Amino acid sequence: MATVNIQNIQKHYGAVKVIHGIDIDIADGEFVVLVGPSGCGKSTLLRMIAGLEEVSGGEIHIGSREVSNMPARDRDIAMVFQNYALYPHMTVADNMGFALKLKKVPAAEIQAKVKRAASILGLEALLDRYPKQLSGGQRQRVAMGRAIVRDPQVFLFDEPLSNLDAKLRVQMRGEIKTMHQRIGTTTIYVTHDQVEAMTMADKIVVLHGGFIEQIGAPLELYDRPANIFVAGFIGSPAMNFIDGWVEEGVFRTTKGLILPLPQAVAEKMGGRDLVYGIRPEHIRASTQGIEGRVTLVEGTGSEIFTRLDAHGEDIACLFRERFDVRFGDTVFIEIDPSKVHLFDKQTGRRI
Amino acid sequence: MAKRLIRRKTLDSLGLLFVAFIMVSPVILFFLWMISLSLKYEIDNGAYPPILFPENVAWSNYLKVFEENNFLLYFWNSVLVTGTATLLALVIGVPSGYGIARLKAEKSAVVIMIARMTPGLSFLIPLFLLFQWTGLIGTLWPQIIIHLVVTVPIVVWIMIGYFETTPMELEEAASIDGATPWQVFRLVALPIAKPGIVVSFILALIFSWNNFVFGIVLANRETRTLPVAVYNMLSFEQVSWGPLAAAALIVTLPVLLLTMFAQKQIVAGLTAGAVKGG
Amino acid sequence: MASVSIENSVANAKQKRSKPSRLAPNYWPFVLPALLVVSAVIVFPWVFTLWMSVNSWTLGQPRTFIGFANYVRLAQDMRFWESLWHTATYTALSVVLPLFFGTLAALIFDAKFPFRGLLRGVFVMPMMATPVAVALVWTMMFHPQLGVLNYLLSFLGIGPQEWIYNQFTVIPSLVLVETWQWTPLVMLIVLGGLAAVPREPYESAEIDGANAWQKFRYLTMPMIAPFLMIAVIIRSIDAIKSFDIIYAMTQGGPGTASETINIYLYNTAFAYYDIGYGSAMAVVFFFIIIALSFVLLMVRQRANWSDMETK
Repeated sequence: MATVNIQNIQKHYGAVKVIHGIDIDIADGEFVVLVGPSGCGKSTLLRMIAGLEEVSGGEIHIGSREVSNMPARDRDIAMVFQNYALYPHMTVADNMGFALKLKKVPAAEIQAKVKRAASILGLEALLDRYPKQLSGGQRQRVAMGRAIVRDPQVFLFDEPLSNLDAKLRVQMRGEIKTMHQRIGTTTIYVTHDQVEAMTMADKIVVLHGGFIEQIGAPLELYDRPANIFVAGFIGSPAMNFIDGWVEEGVFRTTKGLILPLPQAVAEKMGGRDLVYGIRPEHIRASTQGIEGRVTLVEGTGSEIFTRLDAHGEDIACLFRERFDVRFGDTVFIEIDPSKVHLFDKQTGRRI
Repeated sequence: MAKRLIRRKTLDSLGLLFVAFIMVSPVILFFLWMISLSLKYEIDNGAYPPILFPENVAWSNYLKVFEENNFLLYFWNSVLVTGTATLLALVIGVPSGYGIARLKAEKSAVVIMIARMTPGLSFLIPLFLLFQWTGLIGTLWPQIIIHLVVTVPIVVWIMIGYFETTPMELEEAASIDGATPWQVFRLVALPIAKPGIVVSFILALIFSWNNFVFGIVLANRETRTLPVAVYNMLSFEQVSWGPLAAAALIVTLPVLLLTMFAQKQIVAGLTAGAVKGG
Repeated sequence: MASVSIENSVANAKQKRSKPSRLAPNYWPFVLPALLVVSAVIVFPWVFTLWMSVNSWTLGQPRTFIGFANYVRLAQDMRFWESLWHTATYTALSVVLPLFFGTLAALIFDAKFPFRGLLRGVFVMPMMATPVAVALVWTMMFHPQLGVLNYLLSFLGIGPQEWIYNQFTVIPSLVLVETWQWTPLVMLIVLGGLAAVPREPYESAEIDGANAWQKFRYLTMPMIAPFLMIAVIIRSIDAIKSFDIIYAMTQGGPGTASETINIYLYNTAFAYYDIGYGSAMAVVFFFIIIALSFVLLMVRQRANWSDMETK
């Protein structure tokens, strides 16, 4: 186990820059999730940490070692790939023991370690099978087993759940988290799915266009997103954004919608162009307040998702309580001023 | 309705079978006639109208081939030349197919394409001189070396295609597991490429075995391979058809058996690479 | 949109990158042995042939540099021009006939019927059979008095032919053998093309009321055209270089009636040991083949472009 320290890491292919000088500090035993839309550079970053991709600038430290120019085989890391990358010509046991065999660990010791990892993952019965005889979830577990057996300094995961169906994904998410809590190895996990990031991470790194948008604990990102991008990326359904300005203690839009603000903020912000952010789940149905016409209703049983047209602004709302609402109805909503986020229109930064 | 449809389908497939049989019949008739020639005495082979099934079967034709022509030696020469040239080609060609695929240097394979276009004879003139100067003529080595012109391109060509399709992720996983580049090749890439190796092995074997032009220039009485030996029977023996046909059958039988048993691999290899040596 | 274009440009940049990275394994040691062998048995002969072609040298006599005299001699050599003509006829016929029968066979073997696998296996055998052995049996079958072919012809009411023993029928007879042997290769290539043809267009054509011929003409043909072109290229290269069958059956005879460039080249280099002149012939022959391949590849490109335009 070790800390991972990433300093000013850059990556460019010819003239195209894909990663623009990134710093991340990862504590020993921490579970860090790199999250962002496709093309944001998260996989490239992971592959640079793994040693599969050359760094164009900056340094990577694992523990006290500077590894940026070290071949992957010397970095003492384990990686779980998107397509599992199980060796098709080896049994489950051989797959899991391959790294140790390369290190010339005695056969008896390999067998013991493989057995132990298999019991952690419930793979004991499958040790003699070949990968093609396994289900998707089982393959996923073998790939994890292969990583555990190594007892490496760092675990790397590259979108490991994206090939599984929705139900299995939730289950494996839990298993990976449990495994981490049990062995406590420093873990770096790449995903494009913000739900995975929120549920698993000790610390989330939001990447976008090769830059870090924000680093923080899941709830920190949810409660205090640093900018519009993070605010929109974290949380589902996504936050509402409404353009306007502050005037006389309230938020006004060009179309004449008036929205409430917390008292402390309202006094300072007069005159600037702002973006008003409110999460759908922080909007309550009411008998008075903001009036809106319903343009979409989606009920899942546990909650009702609606879109309203309020003075020409589209507002998404998520109601936990059940009530009868249909397309074309007029409803009233209330917004909790303490849950409002304000962003600078120009810079996108949180205010 | 349904019944009529089924009957129509059966008729269709029987019709196709008939047409296919007609297409294949020149092949069947040829080999049938070849066998027939090899099993008839001179009297029957010279008969008009020709006889397909003789009353007396001349097994002795096959004995004659081996008794009178040193055929066992030539068979052994063929085995040595083809076997060595094919194995050498695998040892050399499989790693290089891997290297070329991984270096993404497919363009270097143009050399192999051009080699395939070059007439075999234009390799023969310089190498023939070279072998004369080095005094290798009279041994099997000149033939083994020049057969590499046939076998190496086949192996490299097929293996490039094969390694290009094997997933890079597996090799990355192996290098993270601590494997050196050689171990990655030896323990991961190579075992996975086994089917491709089988295909290139079979094709290299067949085209090397069949090769004729290198032998007529480079072989002498002691170093002849089977195709050359058969050709020499044709030119020196006064039309004795039975043993001649028997000899022809002996030469080509190993290849035909291989074709029958490994049809799937051969078809896969030929459609993928469409290679042919010489 | 933006992220897509970034990814595209990244992909482009990745492909353009030429410098191998420090971390990437060094793959050159894998290629090195083959590189040495290929230089020794393929590249060295090319260079050496080129050099020999500007020398006058008959084995056993001293070598002298003569510049392009061999090439001039070649241009004035009637026997060479005749062999060129024989090669052209032989090649053209040996491309067209296997192409026709091979495509036909592929269309049949693409359908489902009993014993398909077995029959296809038998059909492929000629191309795998040892050419010399094949040539030998065909020689017996072509025999004017005792050959089985004249006997078969008599059923069709056709009189006995002299086949390879007549200067006018020798090339068609050799082409017959070449066609018998190499139709399977065309069949396999076209069959590969047919396997890649999707089902849906046929179903939609069926609904649109197309008949079998229309489906073949407007769907199958355009879709397998690239594969036919590959077959033409491969067949041309193989036919123009054909040696085993011609040499084993006629050695270029009767007279020089079936002497192709390759046979003349063999005779010059290994019967008359005129190494310099033979090398010049090999060089010219090589460039003829390269030119032919180039023209065919251009035609193929053109075909692809017109495909693009209609799409």
